[in-house]
Amino acid sequence: MTRELNWPVIRLLMIKDWQLFQKQLAAHLLGGIVALAFLGMAKPWAFYIGSLLLIILLVAVACFAVSTSLLVERKEQTLAFVMSLPVSPLDFTVAKLAGNLLTFLVPFLVMALFTAIIIFSTPLPDGLVVLAALVFGHVLVAYCISLAVAMQVESEGWNLFAMIGSMVLINPFLMLIGQMDSVQSVLRGNAVIWPAPALAILGAQALIGLACLAFALWSNGRKPAFY
Amino acid sequence: MTAAFVLQGVSKHYPQFSLSDFSLTLPEGQIMGLVGVNGAGKSTLLRLLTGLAAPSSGDIEVLGHRLPEAQVAAKRKIGFAAEDMRLYRGQTLAWHIELVRRIYPEWDSAYAASLLRRFDLRADQSVGGFSHGQRVKALLLLCLARRPQLLLLDEPTTGLDPVARAEVLESLAEVLRDEHRSVLFSSHNTHDVEQLSDSISFMHQGRLLASADKERFLDEWRRVLCVGDVPDALDAWPELVQRRAAGSQIELKFRRWQDDLPERLAQVGLSVQRIDPMTLEDIFVTTVRAGGRQ
Repeated sequence: MTRELNWPVIRLLMIKDWQLFQKQLAAHLLGGIVALAFLGMAKPWAFYIGSLLLIILLVAVACFAVSTSLLVERKEQTLAFVMSLPVSPLDFTVAKLAGNLLTFLVPFLVMALFTAIIIFSTPLPDGLVVLAALVFGHVLVAYCISLAVAMQVESEGWNLFAMIGSMVLINPFLMLIGQMDSVQSVLRGNAVIWPAPALAILGAQALIGLACLAFALWSNGRKPAFY
Repeated sequence: MTAAFVLQGVSKHYPQFSLSDFSLTLPEGQIMGLVGVNGAGKSTLLRLLTGLAAPSSGDIEVLGHRLPEAQVAAKRKIGFAAEDMRLYRGQTLAWHIELVRRIYPEWDSAYAASLLRRFDLRADQSVGGFSHGQRVKALLLLCLARRPQLLLLDEPTTGLDPVARAEVLESLAEVLRDEHRSVLFSSHNTHDVEQLSDSISFMHQGRLLASADKERFLDEWRRVLCVGDVPDALDAWPELVQRRAAGSQIELKFRRWQDDLPERLAQVGLSVQRIDPMTLEDIFVTTVRAGGRQ
């Protein structure tokens, strides 16, 4: 069985997913600007509203990226149309993973970049960038888990559980960070210091995220056929 | 004879359904109608032929490509449209055409434009605003304009109103005249199949009951009305598929009709009142009830 990837079609399917996500992407970026504007005001109340809005937007981007590309396609029966095109299950898996990562990572990285810029260019303590990295890292992991589950499981219930479950874990995660004195001590400072626990968490987030994506690729790509 | 596809001893097992020991060949340039009730296994068969599903056992070769291993190469030459296949609601037909055009180098833009006119579709309209009939036509356009060597249509006329159904069938009849294009289309509507097909296959409960040229099917079957006492020996006649009382008369349905059958019936004491050819629907129902007994 050939394992050569059909890159021209994979690229077209990625572009297709990007085009389907464009309107939502614009709305998310608009919301991101509003959230960052609040953060940039560097007032305690504005920081609270801005950070909350930013987290909501990140969660929304992650959920909508997975939902639009996989769950909605399945529900609206457009997947059969895509699978009838000259693609193998491996091509399809690569296209779905890459297309989904593209639609998620573009707004995610834009928001991450501008969050860092806001932190460094306003009176907010520069140490907050550590907290921002941990929060963005958590959303990235939750997204990878949701994507892997959506690639693997057709049940809408399990997919919603994976999405909501992984995303709401941000609350206990923030509480956990709040208990870490070594992390808390650097957040209010004007120097960017990366304490060992924060680096360990970021490393674990990267590993979990990559493991989820690798599993989704391996599990779906080795199938000889779609059904 | 070059075959568009060959299935040999193909089985596909699902927890609730099995396609069993299925062997079927479609010669190049032929239009085959696949008739079966809902749940007969028609969609499973079409999924196997597109490489979307892998067989549990047996061999599948489509346009010279072994499936599902060479499904990418095979799907470049296959046009597949299914009743449950949907397009992207928020996008226009032009967007879909552009997507498919970029994937298939054989895309015929002039032909696509003529199909747009024939199907009375607007390329700039969002697919979400299409009626079911328009959606079917849009799918057919996306399949046909890529000039496939094999066209696989799963229930293309299901759910269409009579006018849309007639339009789709007329359009299909026109575009299927290409002698080199092979077509397999499934339906539970025998009238549609009779209208378009060169050959017909009956499926039931995952098995192939019968497969033959349309004319042979229609020539071989007869419905006979007669009066008299039915002798027990009649049930042993291999040609007799079904007998039942029809008022004061007896209705007999025969396969492999021979011209000497009325005489043989008279010899066993049955007086033939009437002999009628059977419709494809009647032949199908009788075959299913007889369990495909040859």
